[in-house]
Amino acid sequence: MDAPLYLRPRVEPPLDALLTDRHFLHSLVDALGSPLNVLLPEAVAKNAASFRTVYDRHHLTGRVYFAHKANRSSALLRRLAAEDPAAVGVDVASVEELRHALGCGFTGDRIMATGAKDAAFLWLAARVGATVNLDSPGELERLSGLVRAHGLGRVDVLVRLSGFEYASGREGAGTRLLSRRSRFGTPLRDTEALLSALERNAETVEFVGAAYHLDTTGLEEKARALEQCVLFMDECRARGLSPRSLDIGGGFGVGYVAEAEEWERWTTALTEAVLGVRPPLTWRGHGYGLRNEGGTVRGAAALYAAHRPTAGPGYLDELLSLPAPVLGRPPATLLLEHLHDLHIEPGRSLVDQCGLSLARVLDVRPADPDSGQYLVHLAMNAGDMSLEEHGVLVDPVLLPRGGTTAAGDGKPVGVHLMGNLCLEGDLITRRLVYLPRLPVAGDLLAFVNTAGYAMDFHAHRAQRQPVARTVAVERRGESWNWCPDEDYWPITPVGEQPDEV
Amino acid sequence: MRYDSITEAIGNTPLVRIDPAVHGLRNIDLYAKLEMLNPFGSVKDRPAWHMARPHLEAATSGDGTVVELSSGNTAKALALLAGMHGVKFKSVTNRMRVPEIKELLLLLGAEIEELPGRSECLDPTDTDDPLTHFHRALADPGSTYLHTDQYFNPRNVEAHAEGTGPEIVKDLDGRAPDWFIACVGTAGSSTGVARVLREHDPRVRVLGLVAHKSDFIPGIRTIDEVHQVGLFDPATYDTIESVTSDEAIDGMITLIRRCGLLSGPTGGAAYQGAVRQLRYADEELDGTGQRRTAVFIVCDRAESYLSYVRQRRPELLGRTGRGRSAAAVTDAEARAEARVIEVDDARRWFAEGDPRPLVVDLRSPHAYAALHIEGSLNIVDEVFEELLRGGLPFSKRTPVLLACPVGEKSLRYAAALSRMGHPDVRSLAGGIVAWRDAGAPLVRE
Repeated sequence: MDAPLYLRPRVEPPLDALLTDRHFLHSLVDALGSPLNVLLPEAVAKNAASFRTVYDRHHLTGRVYFAHKANRSSALLRRLAAEDPAAVGVDVASVEELRHALGCGFTGDRIMATGAKDAAFLWLAARVGATVNLDSPGELERLSGLVRAHGLGRVDVLVRLSGFEYASGREGAGTRLLSRRSRFGTPLRDTEALLSALERNAETVEFVGAAYHLDTTGLEEKARALEQCVLFMDECRARGLSPRSLDIGGGFGVGYVAEAEEWERWTTALTEAVLGVRPPLTWRGHGYGLRNEGGTVRGAAALYAAHRPTAGPGYLDELLSLPAPVLGRPPATLLLEHLHDLHIEPGRSLVDQCGLSLARVLDVRPADPDSGQYLVHLAMNAGDMSLEEHGVLVDPVLLPRGGTTAAGDGKPVGVHLMGNLCLEGDLITRRLVYLPRLPVAGDLLAFVNTAGYAMDFHAHRAQRQPVARTVAVERRGESWNWCPDEDYWPITPVGEQPDEV
Repeated sequence: MRYDSITEAIGNTPLVRIDPAVHGLRNIDLYAKLEMLNPFGSVKDRPAWHMARPHLEAATSGDGTVVELSSGNTAKALALLAGMHGVKFKSVTNRMRVPEIKELLLLLGAEIEELPGRSECLDPTDTDDPLTHFHRALADPGSTYLHTDQYFNPRNVEAHAEGTGPEIVKDLDGRAPDWFIACVGTAGSSTGVARVLREHDPRVRVLGLVAHKSDFIPGIRTIDEVHQVGLFDPATYDTIESVTSDEAIDGMITLIRRCGLLSGPTGGAAYQGAVRQLRYADEELDGTGQRRTAVFIVCDRAESYLSYVRQRRPELLGRTGRGRSAAAVTDAEARAEARVIEVDDARRWFAEGDPRPLVVDLRSPHAYAALHIEGSLNIVDEVFEELLRGGLPFSKRTPVLLACPVGEKSLRYAAALSRMGHPDVRSLAGGIVAWRDAGAPLVRE
């Protein structure tokens, strides 16, 4: 066998301490079954504080909105609800998410409603005084209609913009920075209709600012969009409107893999495997979007860049510090000088290091006689833990069951991780995963850092397999306490009854 | 030398021996092939002309556009060649990370399209990369693009097989060198030269240099990226090694400061990679009495890479502090020395002060134009910093109120002005933001 191609996860406190307490984690799975999601509500508050540090450094005001879709947990939401109302809010994309946010303690003024909105969602958002992030003039008209028909108060609205690439004549001569087309937002060149609709409906909506969300890791594209929004808001001011908030969305990224070298070695090996100069690294030679055309690699790897030198708050800091293309000042300076609040909506990066997904090993068997590889079946399926679905490649951590003797020869081994559904396609990873030794039935695999989009994004009951339960855990002295996710309240130590008031 | 066209000056570049006292190899003569002395400044002049010539000579109507995926030297040469033939040039790239090159291309009249960044929120079913879209646009029947296609065009290799390679053999008196070292970008020069040298002597060893995977050296691809190059054939190289940007700059500095060769980082990488590799071979030759020869390519010149060097090795372009500066005031000093005034007191000062204070708004003109304190003067902080170097820009009899967004920069400048002897300069506490939050008027003019 070649040297094992590890992609070991980045694990920071307090998640690292939790992982070392394997007896605790085993006892949780024994009691609650596999799969199991474990969340650390304190970690989400720590992340919010890290983003606030970046705001402070640039003297910026505005809110960090948690994008609810990244994780449906009540514990995370309630923990964030306990943060400073002026600093932390929640971004909801459905009426159920809105109800959940309200039930977890967020008041309407801390809620941002985004995404596709039906009448019930718009009405409840307007009713509780949430800010509505408008996608189109049509949505504005529907909202206004509801406000009039039901005698509601004026609703704060942001307008989501797109199409910054086509803003005319504002780039440096001869240069055009391309962007992927987005299905969201109103193109910047079509904002006239939007602005006149805002003016026309001034008695029903209060225009508070602009928003964008770009699906790119490119800082330049985001800096350009940010600056275009500042210029747009300036035009709005010239028309007598008074926007003051700019919502720049999320997409600040998470570094999943700890070591750059491991990530580089693996991605190089993937290219070589696609070219056929080394054995496949994946189930049935899957190329993750790369293909071999006459000895040349074509296509782009559909992989999340799992090792990142800067992510989350660091990425935001870089974005705010990069000189903007037209006015030349960094975005932080632009916002500050124009007296705008900055809103962000980090999903994944706000729940970085906030949780893990546990799966019990059901069965281990050789893949085929000579490969030295094994098939490991888990009490979990691809819907329970969708790192692979999001292109995130990172190794699970093996948590042996106390007292079991090691299988194999105790050496590193390449395994394919299979799910519990009766489907050929139910793979937990399409990648050959290296573990420090061969697991045995009853061991646990811990998938680290799954709180963002991975742990329950695609979970369903289609084949009547148990859907993962979720628990919140908290460090108490030398040990850990836990409670069901739905029983967590930030005012009571985890696992204790609320004090009499 | 008299030519009818600058294109005739392409090729026939010198082969210059590197002083053994510099590289320290005792048994190997190391030569630099100075491709930087091509008329447009790089090794790419040859393939650019060889690839574009048939298109350009056919393009009589002048309405076409030459298009290439290039972030640097190929684009530079093509832009000039296109201009000479009255057609446009467009460069498509996501690698244009050296600002001088970008600006130079704009100066040459090129159009630049920068590809989008990677997707953050992954759609695994979408494996279309931006390049696929690029190729689709080129294949559009209505397209007037002339794509030179440097990564796949055999004429790229041919340019070197017909020019660079034979020139090296000729200058070595009809012999091929024992080693040939080239950085791999499009693989054109390494492939073309290697082919010719091996025809002369199959024993010639070819070293291909790529950039260290997490690093960036302009014009060189990483080990993964070379596999995306159609001209790249691993069989061309006896060895492929990687070099870091640090090594490239080290090599560049040696060539510049000790050899009088004004090389860019790619040439530096080739030199450094060559010496690193040849050192072992040199030791083996000790005492055998044999001499060997090696040739590497200096692709282009240093001038375009000053910001690249500044970013990685600022000490090489050491700057010294200049005169008086608000930047020299520490936070603690600013707090101790500057006078601040709260919003309410400032409003009273305007109403009752005699003389009224001069309000200086330090924000950018754009922000100032959007909203400002009535009657204030806008001097953006960068300009104000420059003004202070010359001395006090206000009469000492005029009281001054400095305002910035949150009262931090203005505090520093107020301290600097006090140090310069101004008796009544104050910083608006909390800045324009506090002014706005207090409900004080802001105007738009």
